[in-house]
Amino acid sequence: MSLPCGTRNYTYAEDMAIFRTKTHWVFLACLTVLLLTLPMFLGKFWMGVANLVLITLIAATGLNLLVGYCGQLSIGHAGFIAVGAFTSAVLTTKMGMPFLVGLIGAGIVSGAVGLIFGIPSVRVKGFYLAISTIAAQFIIVWGLSHWGLTGGSAGISAKDPSIGPFEFVSDTSKYYLVLFFTVITVFAAKNMARTRVGRAFIAVRDNDLAAEVMGVNLFYYKMLAFFAGCFLAGIAGSLLAHCYYGSLSAEYFTFTESILYVAILIIGGLGTTLGPILGVIFIRVLEQLLTVQVVPALERALPMLPSGFASGIAPMLFGLVIVLFLIIEPRGLSHRWNLFKAAYRLWPFSY
Amino acid sequence: MKKGKLALGLSLLSLLVAVLTVFSACGTPATTTTTTPAATTTTGAGTVATGAPIKVGITTPSTGPAAEKGAPIGHGNLDAIEYINAELNGINGYKMQAVWLDSQYDPAKVVTNMKYFMDQGAVIWGTASSKEGTAAMELANRNGFPGLVSFTSPILYRPPQHVYGQLPDYGDDALAFADYYMKNVWKGRAGKPKFAVMILNNPTGFGARDAFEAKAADMGIEMVKPYYEHSDTDVSMMSALTSIKNVKPDVIYISSTPRPTALIIKEAVALGLYPGVTIASGHAGLTKVLVDTDGADVVEGVYGVFPTASWTDDVPGMAKMTEYAKRLHPGDVGNMDYITGWTQSLVMAEAIRNAVKTAGYDVVAKGDAASWKAVETQGLQTLKDYKVGGLHGPVTYVAGDNRLAKSVRVFQIKKGVITAITEWIDAPLVKYETYPWFGK
Repeated sequence: MSLPCGTRNYTYAEDMAIFRTKTHWVFLACLTVLLLTLPMFLGKFWMGVANLVLITLIAATGLNLLVGYCGQLSIGHAGFIAVGAFTSAVLTTKMGMPFLVGLIGAGIVSGAVGLIFGIPSVRVKGFYLAISTIAAQFIIVWGLSHWGLTGGSAGISAKDPSIGPFEFVSDTSKYYLVLFFTVITVFAAKNMARTRVGRAFIAVRDNDLAAEVMGVNLFYYKMLAFFAGCFLAGIAGSLLAHCYYGSLSAEYFTFTESILYVAILIIGGLGTTLGPILGVIFIRVLEQLLTVQVVPALERALPMLPSGFASGIAPMLFGLVIVLFLIIEPRGLSHRWNLFKAAYRLWPFSY
Repeated sequence: MKKGKLALGLSLLSLLVAVLTVFSACGTPATTTTTTPAATTTTGAGTVATGAPIKVGITTPSTGPAAEKGAPIGHGNLDAIEYINAELNGINGYKMQAVWLDSQYDPAKVVTNMKYFMDQGAVIWGTASSKEGTAAMELANRNGFPGLVSFTSPILYRPPQHVYGQLPDYGDDALAFADYYMKNVWKGRAGKPKFAVMILNNPTGFGARDAFEAKAADMGIEMVKPYYEHSDTDVSMMSALTSIKNVKPDVIYISSTPRPTALIIKEAVALGLYPGVTIASGHAGLTKVLVDTDGADVVEGVYGVFPTASWTDDVPGMAKMTEYAKRLHPGDVGNMDYITGWTQSLVMAEAIRNAVKTAGYDVVAKGDAASWKAVETQGLQTLKDYKVGGLHGPVTYVAGDNRLAKSVRVFQIKKGVITAITEWIDAPLVKYETYPWFGK
């Protein structure tokens, strides 16, 4: 890992640290202040968007472990999020268990379901694995919409979260709760990627045959990646149920949403910690800006357009931006950030 | 070369952002939640009040899998508000302002849109479909933020809370058609007619399913089980239709959006099932798009139920609506979904008018919890025999029943025209209290 000029590590602890320079610590402090004071500047709508961004980040971090680090392509992530959401709602609403039990239960059940659908990964990979995860998406959603325990077609309500005497009712209080779990998730994922497990994931991703020859147990690590990725999807699902939707229907978890998660990783940068963060912010904020600013403005400003054309521009722009990213920066926003940092460190010299 | 491509790409992106920013700035200035004190002046045209506009939040699926219905509904909504402000003196002299957002038929979008409406100080919200209504319901009920949904399923307001059905629900449709069929087509023949039901796998379909479950036996109808579900993205219904053909039903009843409905009818024709069997559609699918998609020959004779007037009806509100549609959205002329959106805005305006009269502008216009309560209790719940220009059944609130209009008509497609074949039929309140979803 490259370090800024003049920065050297003298101990193992320094070598392993995530935040190593004063600049890192200043950035961290600024980010902490920004995140903690954000509710002071945002209205109800943008608080909702902030909560959605953070929840999406947890799910995208899980998918990044699975796809970005371990190379197991999954296009059924929304299905695993749905499992977590419904598990948590059933545990808390129908069985009267505390929110934290629902949250952890959601992660475990979702991880277990992920293991079941991950078994084909031992024999198939690439597009073939993608197809089997697509099947997971449809099977899960169909099951949830027809099972009495999950409310069937009517769905199920999810109470506001509470921990002990603290009830998280307002969007602001939910934001702090979600932020807490998001920070833990991102740091856990970052550290997981730096351990023996993370390196095994990368070995499997880069060449599974070579990894096996080196002694990496493919079945174990592939299953572990599926469990970890789907565990985080379950956690995200639980938070989505209690902190965002409030009630659930199986049709909230669409195939399009699953594809969107893959798009988030591609735009942000696969196999990096920063990638999902940048990808999620970019996609979710772009979505909202198009919906609340651009489309209504176009509808008003260009009444001469054919009926429905202005609304249609939003998804077209969305697609266009993704295509442009794939052409201009296929390694994602995080790579662009790294290039910027490298250029900044060398400035004003080119080399 | 690589740098050149990069520069070109980044320039394109920057240009895109700049263009979008300019467009955003071109529109009406961003709305705010502050209100100015009310004052009124009298002019020749009527009493004009000065004060911040009264905002209503409207979200319709202008894009996505239900755009063929959502776009004309949204246009109707917005055109009616223009008419209300231009010719009906707004709401007691105050301008009515729409905060409109595309929902893309996506529940997550609906949730954020609802929060945007609350942020912007909307006093009531409206949406088109039961799927969007279901997504909005939780926020509406938790916050006491009243809303009006055009196309509804019983699950939205049974038991009644803060969501109101502008029109009868999909269950009412199904029973109105079944009643018509028994009296006018089956006409007391021996035995029971067999009904096969093809439903969208969301509240649009489940509303019809629940109504048949509740009433079919009493009406002397034999239901073909299972109910055949599909999604709004299915590309073929052949498998379900082949199964249905084997049981030789008398009726295929469809409760779905126009595109799947059109697909079902087209494939029923291809299978030789239709003509022969009677096909009927609930009001989610019965629209001009159905005829345009399949062609008049294919859908000839198909029955359907719809809760609004048709464009050929001679009712007081038709001329003005036609004038605005021709001027602002000529592509929607002849589309009954446009009528739905137009009338939804009229009903909203009438409810807010009532609320302003009794609670006062200063309370209503704020768009806070007190305002929502005033619009609901002194607006929506005081609606009585509001005619809506005859564009749909009269609007009356009855305690315990959040359906505001309660009548539908049976239609049949004749030579490509969706033609009413009955007078208005009152849809009685169906008992759903024993259903597992009730109150959940």
